[in-house]
Amino acid sequence: MSGALTIYRRELASLFLSPLAWILLLVALFVNGIFFIAFISNSQGNVTTSLALMLGGAYTFWAFLVFFPPLLTMRLLSEEARSGTLEYLLTAPVGDAAVVVGKFLAATSFMAILWASVLVYALAVDWLGVAPDWGSVLGGYLGAVLASGLFISIGMLASSLTATPLVAAFLAFIACLLWLILPSLGELLLIQVRSLLVHWAGGVEAAEEWIRAGLDKMNVLSHFQASFLPGVFDTGEVVFFLSWTALFVFLTTRVLEARRWRI
Amino acid sequence: MIEVARLYRRFGAHVAVDDVSFRIDKGEVVGFLGPNGAGKTTTMRVLTGFLPATSADVLRVAGYDVLRESLEVRRHIGYLPESVPLYHELRVSEMMRFQGRLHGIPRAELKRRIPEVLERVGVLDRERQLVGKLSRGLRQRVGLAVALLPDPDVLILDEPTSGLDPLQRVEVRELIRSFAAEHTVLMSSHILAEVESVCPRVIVIAEGRIVADGSQADLVREFGGEGYVRFEAVVGPDVAAAVRLLEGLPGVTRVDERGRVGIHHSFEIRGAGDLREDVGAVAMTKGWAVRELSLAVPTLDEMFARLVLGGDGAAAPASATGVPPATAASPVAQGLELATGAAQPGAAPPPGTPGKKIIYSLNPFDQGASRDLGQPMDVGGPAPPEDEDR
Repeated sequence: MSGALTIYRRELASLFLSPLAWILLLVALFVNGIFFIAFISNSQGNVTTSLALMLGGAYTFWAFLVFFPPLLTMRLLSEEARSGTLEYLLTAPVGDAAVVVGKFLAATSFMAILWASVLVYALAVDWLGVAPDWGSVLGGYLGAVLASGLFISIGMLASSLTATPLVAAFLAFIACLLWLILPSLGELLLIQVRSLLVHWAGGVEAAEEWIRAGLDKMNVLSHFQASFLPGVFDTGEVVFFLSWTALFVFLTTRVLEARRWRI
Repeated sequence: MIEVARLYRRFGAHVAVDDVSFRIDKGEVVGFLGPNGAGKTTTMRVLTGFLPATSADVLRVAGYDVLRESLEVRRHIGYLPESVPLYHELRVSEMMRFQGRLHGIPRAELKRRIPEVLERVGVLDRERQLVGKLSRGLRQRVGLAVALLPDPDVLILDEPTSGLDPLQRVEVRELIRSFAAEHTVLMSSHILAEVESVCPRVIVIAEGRIVADGSQADLVREFGGEGYVRFEAVVGPDVAAAVRLLEGLPGVTRVDERGRVGIHHSFEIRGAGDLREDVGAVAMTKGWAVRELSLAVPTLDEMFARLVLGGDGAAAPASATGVPPATAASPVAQGLELATGAAQPGAAPPPGTPGKKIIYSLNPFDQGASRDLGQPMDVGGPAPPEDEDR
């Protein structure tokens, strides 16, 4: 545990020592600012709605989620593998899981800091006299952090697979994008396939139900919008995000272990 | 401290480490010597737990089983991989603190120990500098400091001087030698001079197999073979006759012709002891213009080449094949005699020199005169030979 904490501290410090972190923060603050103004004027000055749009309601949020985690995670493992420091870490007296968890928490913390840029605007508005619905805003913020954690864990898995940071970033980007649009993609495919299958096979409906249920279990968008967006704190939804995240963190650890056997 | 028995490591079909067994006791400094790709790094990685062994009967480091008690092993070793992995964005002191925390060293002790270790490797004045801004040599020292910080029982250093300039190399070697008192050191290198100067014991590894293991002197004696006299001179067109002549010298067991450069032919003459004087005397009497006459003593280098290249690459017979030594046409029958006088004490001849030598001239005008090799002499004749540089 203390090993994970040490790794976490080092990783977060290194992140802020690199220009990338500051550039990402700047971009997030700037873009969020522009959209906040646009949302406010579109919603006739409804602050809470505008903030909800920024924390998951609008597509800018998901664009950030698809672009930023890969940029963060590409350095986490593949860069260490490339520069040889992975050999140092894996021969230090800490377990592989501690290394992965420490790095994961560091990147997620950074995303939490990044989403705090939205809170900056909420605070500014509050200070100006229009208090937003803080419960809704903080709920959305928590959801944003949880969703970021999920995408970070996907990015880390990609990062553990290759020793080239650029490839890792690209792989993570594709994976995140696919993960996001998978339900709609599946739906689309289902419609296509059904028209073919319905002629030959019975019981298509049952299979279809089954696939739909499976896809729903992976649907980040609907889970997010069902829970965090309206400001409902549903533990079931928290578990949804945490369990997928845990799965990818676990897989990353296994890949790291397997790397030793393959090299 | 390190115990390895029947260690195998395969990468697919390639066998990187093939049945390696050795044992290193506490306080030993052992050099792991082998060409690139011999399996040194792989063996070290297995020892540190970075790579698992394909199979091994015994694999213990610092008293712990590498596979089952990996974390304990990692706690007791200091490992410096060849690439010297350090975080370039950290300062030297930060890097050291990170290592200290990973090893669970208490803060107070860390505060005391970091300057101590940095001082020892000579980078205390660079404490505030970024690791990435340091030169290669300094980074190597910082890497050593990082490995030393938890005061490990065993230091495993993979090519600790690769990529350094000769001066830095000497400094790093000096450092490693200073570790010997407190740590068990296993270092690898493909540079002989390094192992020669640092490690009393050498393990030679080639193609994944241990080909030799022992002290330097033992290895040279066992595998280096004897020395030989390198002789380069103008011997005229009849090289075979020259070879026969040289072979006829007492003590000579083999003469190899090593090709010619211009009008000079070179030979390698093997036999008991230091044959330089005898060869020189022959050259003098035959009037051969000598360009080189030297004794090549086997080094770890040659032993290494011989072991690693498999067999006696350096001593393969060249033109001398088929010429039986001391036949009817031996030089003795032609009037050359070489006698050995009584050994002179006090003169302190080089080891292997049988003492005073007397040579009988081949020059027909000398009428069989003999002379002591210790005395200077004019050599007349059609082709005045050069003076030898004995």
